[in-house]
Amino acid sequence: MTKEEQLSIINDAIKQTKTNLKPLGYNLVFWGVVIISMSLFHYFFPQIVQYSYYSSVIYWVLIPVLGMFYTTYYNIKTGTKIGYETQLDRVIRIIWSVFGLAWIFTVGISLIYNVNPVQDILFLLGIVLVMSGLIIKFRNITIGGIGLLIFTVYTYYNPGINLLLVNVIGISFGMLVPGLSLYFQKSDNLQLRY
Amino acid sequence: MNKEIEKLLFNPIRLKTISFLMSVETCTFKALLEITDSTKGNLSIQLKKLNEGGLINIEKYFQKSYPTTDYSITNKGRKSFEEFYNQLMSFK
Repeated sequence: MTKEEQLSIINDAIKQTKTNLKPLGYNLVFWGVVIISMSLFHYFFPQIVQYSYYSSVIYWVLIPVLGMFYTTYYNIKTGTKIGYETQLDRVIRIIWSVFGLAWIFTVGISLIYNVNPVQDILFLLGIVLVMSGLIIKFRNITIGGIGLLIFTVYTYYNPGINLLLVNVIGISFGMLVPGLSLYFQKSDNLQLRY
Repeated sequence: MNKEIEKLLFNPIRLKTISFLMSVETCTFKALLEITDSTKGNLSIQLKKLNEGGLINIEKYFQKSYPTTDYSITNKGRKSFEEFYNQLMSFK
């Protein structure tokens, strides 16, 4: 084997390393649809969700936790099917896992102090979206994250605003729309090469 | 550079495997089979040699009752590949 052949083998092998971004798009769309549906249901049927203090807590904790189990299962299944994990996949996985833990922590604290965690969660989500968008070099997600951050700061200065509608608007433009554009990108553009 | 390592990386399948493992965290046998375009038997032998040379880790476990094997590069493997690659580039 000549030196040129060896270099060619190395280049070919590295070129075959691809980060498939479709699963991230799916995750964003899934959570976007879940949170928007939950917020709208809560907004139109408060008598059901707020039947008691515990009913709304169960509603806003149990469904997202079930969603976390589902997305964890989906991501493990997709990872197994692809057969390898790139460094970029690992970074994205760690960032969103930390967000999941931060969500649990924020919800826990808000239950103890009886405050609404929507703005804090949206702010965290905005930061994670900006980070993800910059890392995978997908402009729509970065813009969605920046928009969500600006919108969240705006809500801090308007305390009278309905936080369920804040959730719907923030998640729609920060998560659902960028997620859909990532999910429906042509598959060739969805694979980051090294 | 260590002659043994150089000899190990001289084989195209082993070189392709190490090059691929350099850019991923972990990889399954099935994925390596696709990447190297090799047969199961041949790939198993080459992976065993890389493992014996301390260049890769082999982790076996059960997933839904099925035996699964993950491969990853070791620190020694990473260092050896970098030396090997720099050596190749210096000849260019």
